[in-house]
Amino acid sequence: MKRPIRILAAGSTVAAMALIAAGCSADDGGDSDGTVTITFWGSYGNGGNSTQQDVLESTLIPAFEKANPGVQVEYLDVPYDDLLQKLTTSAAGDELPDLVRADLGWVPRFADLGVLVPLSQEMDDFQELADATYPGVLATNLWEGEYYGLPLDTNTRVLISNPAALEAAGLSAPPATFEELQAMAEALDGTDITAFADGGLGAWNLMPWIWSGGGDITDADLTTSTGYLDSAANVKTIQMLVDLYQAGQASSGLVGNEGAISTSEGLPGGNYATILDGPWMTGIWAGQFPDFAPVYSPVPAGDGGSISVVGGEDIVLTASSKHKEEAMDFIRFTQSEEFQLALVPTGQLTVIESLGDKQIELDPQLAVFTEQLATARNRLAIPNASEVDTILNTELVPAFEGAISVKEALENAAAKIDELLAS
Amino acid sequence: MSRSTRRAAGIGLGTVRHVVLLAGALLMIAPFLYMVAISFTPNSYVLTTPPQFVPENPTLGNYAQALDAQDIPRYFVNSLVVATISTAISVLLSSMMAYAFARFRFPGREVIFRILLVGLMIPAVMLLIPQFVLAKHVGLLDSLGGLVVFYVAGSLALNTFLLRGFLEQTPAELDEAMQMDGANAWTRYWRLALPLAKPGLATATIFTFLACWDEFAWALTIINDPEARTLPIAIRLLAGQGNNAVQWGVVFAASVMAVIPVIVVFLVFQRHFVQGLVSGAVKG
Repeated sequence: MKRPIRILAAGSTVAAMALIAAGCSADDGGDSDGTVTITFWGSYGNGGNSTQQDVLESTLIPAFEKANPGVQVEYLDVPYDDLLQKLTTSAAGDELPDLVRADLGWVPRFADLGVLVPLSQEMDDFQELADATYPGVLATNLWEGEYYGLPLDTNTRVLISNPAALEAAGLSAPPATFEELQAMAEALDGTDITAFADGGLGAWNLMPWIWSGGGDITDADLTTSTGYLDSAANVKTIQMLVDLYQAGQASSGLVGNEGAISTSEGLPGGNYATILDGPWMTGIWAGQFPDFAPVYSPVPAGDGGSISVVGGEDIVLTASSKHKEEAMDFIRFTQSEEFQLALVPTGQLTVIESLGDKQIELDPQLAVFTEQLATARNRLAIPNASEVDTILNTELVPAFEGAISVKEALENAAAKIDELLAS
Repeated sequence: MSRSTRRAAGIGLGTVRHVVLLAGALLMIAPFLYMVAISFTPNSYVLTTPPQFVPENPTLGNYAQALDAQDIPRYFVNSLVVATISTAISVLLSSMMAYAFARFRFPGREVIFRILLVGLMIPAVMLLIPQFVLAKHVGLLDSLGGLVVFYVAGSLALNTFLLRGFLEQTPAELDEAMQMDGANAWTRYWRLALPLAKPGLATATIFTFLACWDEFAWALTIINDPEARTLPIAIRLLAGQGNNAVQWGVVFAASVMAVIPVIVVFLVFQRHFVQGLVSGAVKG
């Protein structure tokens, strides 16, 4: 071993000791001079597209701090895919922040762990705030009779069409019903355009079809799936998708083919005529397919009407928070017109129903999404909701491949979901 | 077979060999070249089909953005400090342990060694929560020091295992001779064992540095202060799989910068590294 390396080794040991000592002496900070610091974790800045984080950090948080002297908000941006893991570990170590911008599927999970505060008990004005939001979005916060959060931002899926593909099918407007979609698929037979594309069979993908077809996945009290998921209405709806797939008019991404052209590239590229997707697609295409002019329209209506699925995030307060009052003030601030409308231009839809018109004024392209949200519904609000996606993805594929009947596949999935609900 | 045809066959075989090797090398380097190419491509041209290996409208904008707007240099320095210090401490400590296991006889030696090896068999993810609770109680959360301590602890087992095997193969007679001349254990370790184990130390250094440089899960879990983030977290924040459009050009520009230290470490130590991998393969 050469001398310089040895010196380096010895030197680093000393440096490390100093570093560790510095780490040990770092305190929680902030509270000595009377100011209260509330911490807030989320993934606004996700994807390096920092417009949302910029609005939050340079406009909204300063506005709140100005209105609430002595309170500071410290926002931490965490990669979206890893936020759940970080939250889980921090919950185990009792190191959660005061506030979390949680994906709406996570609220029941953390409420079940007992690390969240039921806002419907703690906040005097909860009912007033809750009443202002879309019912489907608010429902994502419900767990065992209490609301553990308030909606922060929302989104939903609508039908997005490629105008050139519509023209190729001889249509002047996107398909508005199941029948029109099937007719379009027949018209596209023999072209190299696929009528419909999606990236899987999870609840986010499938529920708009199921609800619009007049079916559901469980009863209202979340006790059983058998008798609901395998209903005649659902058999009819899923059979329609299976028929499209077997006729080559639904993309193989539907049954989990990772190699299929993604919906975000295939629609502007002319491979797909229609997809279901959210308001963020506009921004994605503006950068990469500047010439593409997507056509937005409601989810095709079936026997149940046109009903889509709710997505988005909720804001929750943790049980370990030492500054609950100040944190609840921030929650109230997130429900204000100022907060809600500031994020609209960055691709977040407001959760306040009465702000819908102002939202459309800010961005006319959001009209269809705003309208769709009024009836959009929430997926199963259970702690292990992600397993529902796995079940649907695994159990329904054999029906698409023609190995078993749609009825049989839905019965199998319902039986698995029953087990999930019982646990 | 005449001499000339044999030579012709030899040339033919050599050419085939070269073609196969070249194809293999191209296959290995293609993703890397693609990453470099994208890092110089403006964002609106990133996902074109077929992929462009030579960007049509090359730009340095991605690098400028990564260096300037995304604060990559700070995260680069954080990662470099953590990985260098962790590697140095880990190699130092594990070589001492390995020397003890290789040269000293003491009761329970093999038992202790096997307990150490158990550490290799537990997946790191399973240790995340217990480590987090431990780090919280010793005040190591949200600091680079917390990363160093756990990176060193996590790499000791493998390095000790590697270096023990290495040191056991150096002739014990040299050690005994030094002992006869009155050299104490420290002198024998520092002046004899370490120089002889250079290839092993190089191997341990490369592995440890790579592991610390790339480590993501633990850093993500304990680091909250944006100024203390390491490079893998920063790149992950750029490339998150959320609802937004990913700026691939910037992600790849940051990734190219992240690869540089790995290449440097490998080039510096690789001469010894290859030797380290093959030594002991043939008994001689």
